[in-house]
Amino acid sequence: MFIQRGQITKDCFVMPGKMALPNQYFAGRVGSNFIISLRDDRKILGVKCPKCDKVYVPPREYCEKDFTKLDENWVEIGSEGVITNYTIVNYNDKHLPRKAPYILALIKLDGADTPMAHIVEGIETEEVQIGMRVRAVFSEKPTNTILDIDHFEPIG
Amino acid sequence: MAEYFGSRVEDIFNTMPERFQPENVAGVDVRIGYSVTGEGGGKWVVTIKDQKLNVEKVEELPKCSVVLLAEAEAFVGGALGVVNLQDAMAAGKLKVDGDITILGNVLPKAFTPFVPVIRAKDIIDSMPARFLPEKAEGVSMKIGYDLTGQDGGKWTVVVDNGSCTIKDGLDSDCTVVMSMEADVFVGLNTGKISASSAFSAGQVKIDGDIGAAGATAQFFKKFEIASDDKKGEELISISVVNSINQRFATGPYMGKWFAGLKEKKFYASKCPVCGRTLIPPREVCANCRVRATEFVEVGPKGTVNVIDLVYYASPDPLTGKVRSTPYAVLYMSMDNGTPDEMFSHELNPKDIDRVKSGSRVRPVWNEIRTGGIDDLLYFEIDD
Repeated sequence: MFIQRGQITKDCFVMPGKMALPNQYFAGRVGSNFIISLRDDRKILGVKCPKCDKVYVPPREYCEKDFTKLDENWVEIGSEGVITNYTIVNYNDKHLPRKAPYILALIKLDGADTPMAHIVEGIETEEVQIGMRVRAVFSEKPTNTILDIDHFEPIG
Repeated sequence: MAEYFGSRVEDIFNTMPERFQPENVAGVDVRIGYSVTGEGGGKWVVTIKDQKLNVEKVEELPKCSVVLLAEAEAFVGGALGVVNLQDAMAAGKLKVDGDITILGNVLPKAFTPFVPVIRAKDIIDSMPARFLPEKAEGVSMKIGYDLTGQDGGKWTVVVDNGSCTIKDGLDSDCTVVMSMEADVFVGLNTGKISASSAFSAGQVKIDGDIGAAGATAQFFKKFEIASDDKKGEELISISVVNSINQRFATGPYMGKWFAGLKEKKFYASKCPVCGRTLIPPREVCANCRVRATEFVEVGPKGTVNVIDLVYYASPDPLTGKVRSTPYAVLYMSMDNGTPDEMFSHELNPKDIDRVKSGSRVRPVWNEIRTGGIDDLLYFEIDD
């Protein structure tokens, strides 16, 4: 609410706050297999629906179209793909993985039917384009998260 | 004996002593009952107390902290991680009677995960796959195994011109026959028993060509527990404290409120139409939709109307620290205020047992007041 003319503002102040919440994130059995493969073998895995052939990367347990259970039908996906959409993150906060500005893109890997969100580095933020081809760069240190792919970089 | 996914129900209980992690169960005192139906099932009682484990097969379950009722297949599959426990519960193949949190909190700490028990037959069956034809070129022999005891059996391993096959039973023309307890055979192959100690203790008997017996070792790769099975068992879970910076602007009304706290005063805003006192002060009376421009002092004492007793250890969003439980939140009518407008704040935990609706309460102030949220600590019973 804005301050009305005539209101006394001498008591107004701004209080710094912090939303600090302890969380436990479980990747699930399917997600764990995906991350372990990234971490140990530097391979990106997806799951393929045996009924409709849709390939999910990152993998999920059930097909969103026909609810078929997918957790057994693993397929290896290449580490290259194409940017299908992007945004530029222009603010800094400590929970964010990079200093602003950085590119957060949706990347559809070759062989996958779903895009995954990840960071694109190696180009200026104004150079990113839909349709740009990129390649995964794996993390040097294991993180046990999706950041076991450190980022994507443009090819060529 | 009925096997599910290559393992038996009793394997899970028989391996509990070696999987037990006493250092993880300090202070734990539970008795868990298992009732497993189907072939190979039965009733077991697992007691963990004083960091000691007792596993017992019983006819009737005694009184337990919690009882797990399961179909044998779901039970073994769950232990191996090949059956989804939630699916099994939804399908009625797995039920829990009693405090389910014990199973989730105690068992994963108390035991390392179950891995299939290796039996003599598993090792014999793996021999063709472990066979190294180049090491056995031109060799033709029959190696007999006569393994006694539970899970024993008789097998003949035929090595002939670069091939290796297994036959059930002992052929009469074996080059050499090795006799021992099946347990010893498994121990030798998994490295738990040293060959020299087994031979010197007379646990292994060799009939026939002793030289041939020694040669067998080099024809085969060492037996290894399949490592692929283990990979799927790792599940990833990470703990993160998400911390997001925020800024809260008081505006003039909450600013006035905090300025009042510094002076040990509660300021309410008063609606010029209905006369109710809004506490903490708000700019507008939402009932009359008019500005409440006048401030009045209320309290500092009040009367409790409603008490929320909270047992859930919720994190404090300002610090991320978990609150100690139980704590009580009071909804109070402040003295000199309109009684329908209730002010909400915490109760001093020492008064939780005796607070009730109608209790008179007074505020407890922080010694150091800065005009902020920490100036008012809590309310306590005024007696």
